[in-house]
Amino acid sequence: MKALTANRLSDGDVVFWNAGQWVERFGDAQLFDDDQAEAAEAALAAGKAQPLAAVDVYLIDVAPVEGGLAPVSYRERIRALGPTNEPTHGKQAEGGAVVEALRHASGAARSTGRVDLIRRK
Amino acid sequence: MYRYDALDREFLTDRSNEFRHQVARRLSGELTEDQFKPLRLMNGLYLQLHAYMLRVAVPYGSLNARQVRRLAWIARTYDKGYGHMTTRQNIQFHWIKLRDVPDILDALAEVDLHAMQTSGNCIRNVTADPYAGATAEEVDDPRVWSEAIRQWSTLHPEFSYLPRKFKFAVTAAKTDRAAVKVHDVGLILHRAPDGALGFEVIVGGGQGRTPYVGPTIKQHLPASRLMSYLEAVLRVYNRHGRRDNIYKARIKILVAALGAEEFARQVEAEWAQIDSPSADLPDTELARIRAAFTPMAFETLPARSETFELAKGVSSSLARFARNNVKPHKQPGYAIVEVSLKAIGQTPGDATADQMDLIADLAERYSLDDVRVTHAQNLVLPHVKLDDLPAVHAALAQAGLATANIDLASDIIACPGLDYCALANARAIPIAQDIAAKFADPDHAERVGELKIKISGCINACGHHHVGHIGILGVDKKGEEFYQLSLGGSGAEDASLGKILGPALPADKVADAIDTLVEAYLKVRDGDERFLDTYRRVGLEPFKEAVYAHADQA
Amino acid sequence: MPTLIRLENGQARWAENSFVSVVDEDAVPAGDVIVSLKRFLAEGEALLTNSRRVGVRIEADEAVEDLAYDLPRLAVVAVAFPKYRDGRAYSSARLLRQRLGFKGEIRAVGDVLQEQAGFMVRCGFDAFEPADGATPEVWSKAASRFRHVYQRGADARPPAYEERGA
Repeated sequence: MKALTANRLSDGDVVFWNAGQWVERFGDAQLFDDDQAEAAEAALAAGKAQPLAAVDVYLIDVAPVEGGLAPVSYRERIRALGPTNEPTHGKQAEGGAVVEALRHASGAARSTGRVDLIRRK
Repeated sequence: MYRYDALDREFLTDRSNEFRHQVARRLSGELTEDQFKPLRLMNGLYLQLHAYMLRVAVPYGSLNARQVRRLAWIARTYDKGYGHMTTRQNIQFHWIKLRDVPDILDALAEVDLHAMQTSGNCIRNVTADPYAGATAEEVDDPRVWSEAIRQWSTLHPEFSYLPRKFKFAVTAAKTDRAAVKVHDVGLILHRAPDGALGFEVIVGGGQGRTPYVGPTIKQHLPASRLMSYLEAVLRVYNRHGRRDNIYKARIKILVAALGAEEFARQVEAEWAQIDSPSADLPDTELARIRAAFTPMAFETLPARSETFELAKGVSSSLARFARNNVKPHKQPGYAIVEVSLKAIGQTPGDATADQMDLIADLAERYSLDDVRVTHAQNLVLPHVKLDDLPAVHAALAQAGLATANIDLASDIIACPGLDYCALANARAIPIAQDIAAKFADPDHAERVGELKIKISGCINACGHHHVGHIGILGVDKKGEEFYQLSLGGSGAEDASLGKILGPALPADKVADAIDTLVEAYLKVRDGDERFLDTYRRVGLEPFKEAVYAHADQA
Repeated sequence: MPTLIRLENGQARWAENSFVSVVDEDAVPAGDVIVSLKRFLAEGEALLTNSRRVGVRIEADEAVEDLAYDLPRLAVVAVAFPKYRDGRAYSSARLLRQRLGFKGEIRAVGDVLQEQAGFMVRCGFDAFEPADGATPEVWSKAASRFRHVYQRGADARPPAYEERGA
């Protein structure tokens, strides 16, 4: 599965693509199944064609995790959540099931040794 | 400290207006992102993972109370109520909106601050000894020369599009608190046997992907010829530095490729052709800058303060603070106070807006309106009367700023890492927090003694891992965060680059490994030998064995 | 429409470009020409006739010193910016003006953007082929945005320390 992400030009906030618009929550992102590669590429082109809305437009891999979905790379999980050293900063502040699933995502695509993203006490 | 005159202020106004114009052109689409990016970078504005980041220049790490208060106000108004001190003695804000930046730059300009050249392939903020003007060790005030370099390098018409970024560091003391040997240019002020003031010039040090301890290319440069000589160094680099490969574009690669001798020869040849009267600063200008740094209203006091001695006897926490965070001042009856931004569990280098306000108050009341940022991501109140130390300590303690751990194992340098930075491969902050927790017992930390742990979240080495007594480099190993340990680095006067200990460790094994390294050190330590000196005496093997044997058992 | 901006007495104006830039593969036409350094070094004597003016294009990796003895015979030195972030041309221009005493036109060609106008003028450029469609008005404004400068360049502007002393 893929989703399309970028940073909004005016404030740098992480945004996700949904049917022609940029939205702020990972949970609201449009998902492209593996057999929808063309649609994903079309969204990428459409996103890049809005240079005044967002910059650094790219596709990310998404996979099922316990409790929901999460980006495969932890860099993208941090973008979808906020910094792990400040659990109240960024998108994670509002909490909820999507955020919890992202926080606890571990080794979505890879199985060994991944450290949870939540702050280790 | 240096005071802006009308001319300096008009310059900042013009710069701020220019950037406001550029932001408007970007938001209207007149400038593409590709065109805008280098322009915003030259104003210290990065796009990071969650937002824009604005890096404000703190020239040679020096601030007054009014400036600190303004930074606190910016943190509250435009960010999430904190700022982050960097290894270039700057302060950066992590949650900035592009559309606010012109207003922020105006607010900074009102207190003589700016974000110019804190990024981009230009001459970056000049760093210097944070104890400048306060330590008895120095032969001259490095801030005078740092300010001269700052002005000269500001929007330099010839050297604003260098092959790569360019960093100066200046010190005038034997104890190197500015890491001059790992900079593009490091300057050590000294006096020749005949008393003449001059610089030892080190060129081509640096960290990043290819670290070098820089070679000295000139033993004694007469101080009055500094600017023309720097022009020669920069011109040789601008013309001949590599531009085909970003990883080979720093001056260190040119110096290494040519050899220090040949590089020095080319600089001398170029220097000989530069007209000194037009390139070097006139003595009158140096005197004008110098005048801004000399008059400090020190009182005549006894070298020993009974008030302080008495208070230390009563309060063990003040005594501990005195042992670790209070450093000798050149003026009898005064001390240099280090304010640690490394409380256990805290993000290294972060200060909240309230903490900044408090520091501003203390600076005004107790430190002659002077605050410094250190490259180790701490703050300094450079001129505190011994008599006032108990009050200063109490105020700091109330605000969580009295952690007595300067240069101890929990005083960790860490870059923002993957929690914020678009370039990072791994997180640095949680690793620092885990390690600091191992040294939460202050008696244990003091028993271990000086131990500089430095963590970078990627090979760009903003966290100075190459020169950590223990260096930690975050790497991405097939999508996992792993950390490579190295031992024996130093960024001080005994500069050296660390050696890699062994295979990288997963995140949850790093703090334990540091613990193991420290235990191994304590076993073989000779007297009160520092970790670094023990390592230099016994080598890598015992440490390697301890960590990896331990890992096998686990 | 002209695409050359020339700076005369501090004023940027549209200027007629009488020079034809000739790539090495093409024959040299009649009239004023700008040729590569390589070609100039090989054919310069033949090109320099009374009936035309000659300019030389210096690439970023070429040394202006190679032209030192020919400069009085040249009308233009075109200094190329392969990318606007490539700052070698600034050193080239400054050395042409200050060290080699070139009095003719120093023209910025290649990736020439208004953001660089101030730096270019300060390094001795006095003619520009903007790649971003900038007009002389825009160019003038960009070049004179700063009321003060902190260091000596190849222009006549007094650095801050002289303004302060005055």
